[in-house]
Amino acid sequence: MKKKGVQLIKDGRRIDGRAFDELRPIRIEVGVLKRADGSCYFELGENKVIAAVYGPRELHPRHIQDAKRAIIQYRYNMAPFSVDERKRPGPDRRSIEISKVSREALEPVIMTEFYPRTTIDVFVEVLQSDAGTRTAGINAASVALADAGIPMRDLVTSVAVGKVDGEIVLDLNAYEDNYGEADMPIAMIVRKNKITMMQMDGKMTKDEIKKALKLAKKACEKIYQLQREALIAKYSEEIEREEQSDEQSAQWLKV
Amino acid sequence: MTEVVDELRRDYVCNLIRSGKRMDGRDFLEYREISVERGFAKKAEGSARVKIGGTQVLVGVKMEVGEPFPDTPDEGIIITNAELVPLASPEFEPGPPDENSVELARVVDRGIRGSNAIDLRSLCIEEGSKVWIIFIDIHVLDDDGNLLDASALGAIAALLDTKIPYERHGFAPCEVNPKTERLSVKMRPVAVTMADVEGNILVDPNLFEESAANAKITITTNEDGSISCIQKSRVGMLEWEKVDELIEIAEEKGKEIRNAFLK
Amino acid sequence: MEMYKIVVPGDFLSRDVKRAGEGTYVEDGCVYAHLYGILDEKDEIKVVALSGKYVPRRGDVVIGRIVDFSFPYWVVDIASPYKALLHVAEVAEEGERIEMSRMHEYLDIDDLIVAKVKSVDASMRVELSLMKEFRVRRGDRLIEISHTKIPRIIGRHGSMIKMLKERSGCFIFIAKNGRIWIKGREDAVDVVSEAILMIANEAHTSGLTDRVARMLDTFRFQRRIFRKQGAAGVKERTEGREVGGYGSVGSDMRESESKSESESENESKSECESESGSGRVGEGGERLV
Repeated sequence: MKKKGVQLIKDGRRIDGRAFDELRPIRIEVGVLKRADGSCYFELGENKVIAAVYGPRELHPRHIQDAKRAIIQYRYNMAPFSVDERKRPGPDRRSIEISKVSREALEPVIMTEFYPRTTIDVFVEVLQSDAGTRTAGINAASVALADAGIPMRDLVTSVAVGKVDGEIVLDLNAYEDNYGEADMPIAMIVRKNKITMMQMDGKMTKDEIKKALKLAKKACEKIYQLQREALIAKYSEEIEREEQSDEQSAQWLKV
Repeated sequence: MTEVVDELRRDYVCNLIRSGKRMDGRDFLEYREISVERGFAKKAEGSARVKIGGTQVLVGVKMEVGEPFPDTPDEGIIITNAELVPLASPEFEPGPPDENSVELARVVDRGIRGSNAIDLRSLCIEEGSKVWIIFIDIHVLDDDGNLLDASALGAIAALLDTKIPYERHGFAPCEVNPKTERLSVKMRPVAVTMADVEGNILVDPNLFEESAANAKITITTNEDGSISCIQKSRVGMLEWEKVDELIEIAEEKGKEIRNAFLK
Repeated sequence: MEMYKIVVPGDFLSRDVKRAGEGTYVEDGCVYAHLYGILDEKDEIKVVALSGKYVPRRGDVVIGRIVDFSFPYWVVDIASPYKALLHVAEVAEEGERIEMSRMHEYLDIDDLIVAKVKSVDASMRVELSLMKEFRVRRGDRLIEISHTKIPRIIGRHGSMIKMLKERSGCFIFIAKNGRIWIKGREDAVDVVSEAILMIANEAHTSGLTDRVARMLDTFRFQRRIFRKQGAAGVKERTEGREVGGYGSVGSDMRESESKSESESENESKSECESESGSGRVGEGGERLV
C-alpha cells in the first residue's frame, strides 16, 4: 500500500490541487429510483454511489425475526466496472466487512422498536470508485432512510481522514489512499458529537488521530448541511394554505 | 407508490387492451421515453446509462488482457454478465445470478456476437497467449419492465463509447492490436421486445404488461437487415402466423432506435 | 401564501416537551423530529410524514385482500409490512360454524374485504373485524396510494373528497391503509381515479384543489355535451400522461350504457350521502398532506 518515492504533497497542495482540509465536490439527489421505498444518489469527487432502502418489510425466515424490533440489513456492493481492474460480481471479503461496519454506523439512530418482526433493507451500489466509497455510501444511505420515512433520531454523516506524506488530510482520493500512511473512515452524529463508525488502516500517533478527528468533525458538519438541504429541496414547492384554495373552489361550484 | 393491487393487474391490463388502450396512454407499438447517456461510469472503458420509462440500466465495458480459449487462439473474448441487484426491485434478492439474470446476459450477448459487431480477430495481441477480453457488465438499477431492451441498448452504446486501455496494461497507446483509439464496432444490433396479450402485440411492455402477457419475444436486428437473436420467453404460446409481423415490427422499431441513439 | 416547514430526522423543534406529538421524540428537555416530513405546530408539535409504510392501529378502517388460509383465520394483506388475521367467527352468521375445508366458499384468495382493525398486540399481531355492510364486487375500481396521502385526499373538513364525490357522482370509499374503492359510471370512475393519483403525486404543492376542480369540471362539461348529442359519446382520455396503475376488479361488470344518466346519478348520489359521514374513513377530514 505505501510506495516509497511517490510525492503526494507539493508546495502545500495535494496532487489534485486540494488543500489539506478540503473536501471533494459533493452532489446529492433524493428519490432517484422508482421501485425503492427511499433512495439517494451521491457523488463525492469521482465517487458515484446509489443507495436504496426497502422497508420496513416482511422478513423471512421467521427464525431471524426479532419479536421486538426491526432488523437492519445493509449490503454494500461494487459494480464490476466501478474500478480500474474489473471486479468480479458478488460479495468479497472487503464488501462484507464494509457492509457490517456501515450497518453498525446507521443502526444506532434507527428507531427499530417501531417495527417489530420486520426488516429494513439498505442497498448501496458503487457505480464509480475513487476511495471513500464506504463514506459516500453511509451518507447516501442516511438520506435514503429518511426518504423512505424510516423514523430516526438523527442523520448519520461520514467522511475519511488520513495521513499522507506526514500531513493530516481530509477525504483521501484513490491515489492518496493507496500510497499514503494511514486512512481513517469515520461516521458520526454531528449534532450529538457521537461516533458510530471508526476504522483506521495504517500508522498514526495519538496526537495525529486527535487532529484528524477534529478535521473529520468539521467536514461532517458541512456534509450534514448538504444532506439536509437535499432532503428539503425535494419538496421545495410552496404549499398553499388549504383555506385559500377552499374559498376559490367554492366559487367554482357557484358557477 | 401508486399501484394496482397485485393479482388484479392481468384483468386490468387485458380490459384496457381489449378497448385498444394501454395504461399509460401509449400506442401498442410505441416505446416509453428513452434516454441514453454515454460515458457515465468513468472507471469503465466505455459505459452507457439507459432509461426506458421507469426502467434504468447502467452498462459498463471493461477490457482486460488474458489468455485466449484454446480452440480460438487468435481471437479475443467477449463475456457478458448481468446483475439484477436488489436495489432495483423488491423482487430481487442478493445472491448468485438467477435464471432471469442469466437469460438477460445471454440474450444481450447473442445479439452482439451474432451480429459480428466486434471483430474478435482484431483483439488478438499475441496469438495463443494474449488477447483482449471484453467484459460487458449490465447493472440493473430500476426495474419497471423490459430490462432486456434497455440492457441491450446500453451494451451496444457502451461498446461504441469504449476506448482501449493500452496504458493500463503497460502498452504504449495504439502499440498493439487493435491499434485504434476506440473499439471498432461494425454493427449496431438493437433488441426489440414485444409482449403478446391475448393476441395483441405490445412493444416495450412495462412491468404490469409483462406480468399480464402470455408470451414475450425479443428480436434483435441489424442495419444490414439481418437478425442476430430471437428469444421467446414466458410460459404462453405464440401464433405461428404472427412471426412475420413480429419481425417487421422489430426491424422498424430497431431502425428508429438506432437512428436516434446509436449514431 | 404560507410556506410549510420541511424537517428532517434530528431537527430541533422546541423546548415545550408537553406538546410533543407524532413524529417527534424528547431528549434532554428538547423535542426533536424523528421523521422526514412537514412540521405542524398548531396544537401538538407533530411531524406529518411524507413517506413510509402503513402500520395498523386499533380502530382503523382498511381494505384488505385475502392471501392465505390459516384455520381458523384468513390471512389478509393490508398494504403494510404486517399481515392481518380475520377469524372465521367474524364471517359466520349466528350459530353457524365454518369448517376449514369450506373457508374458501365464504372468502377465497384475492377477495377484497372492508374491515376494521380489532386489535394489535405488542408483537404486531393484527386482528380484523369484518364490516359486512360493504361488499367490494368485481367491476368496482380499487386504487392503492401511499397511506401518507390519504389526509390530502380527504381534505380539510372533508372538502376534497366531497368535491370529488359531488362532481363525479361516484361512490368513493377511502381506507386508512391507502386503498380507495370507487364505484360509478366508467368514465366518471376514470376521472376520479386520475384526480386521486394527481393529488397523491402533487400532495405537497400549492393550488392543488383548483387543479382538481378544473379536472372535474372538464368532465362535467363533457357530460353535458353527451346529453345534448343523446349518444354514449367518445370518452376522452388525457393523452400521453403517466396515469400510473389502478385496478379494475374483474372484467365483466360494466355499467350498461343504456341506463339513463339521471338515474345512475341519483343512485350513486344516495350511496354518497350514506357515506359522507366521514367517520367511516377513520380520520375524518384531517387537514393537509
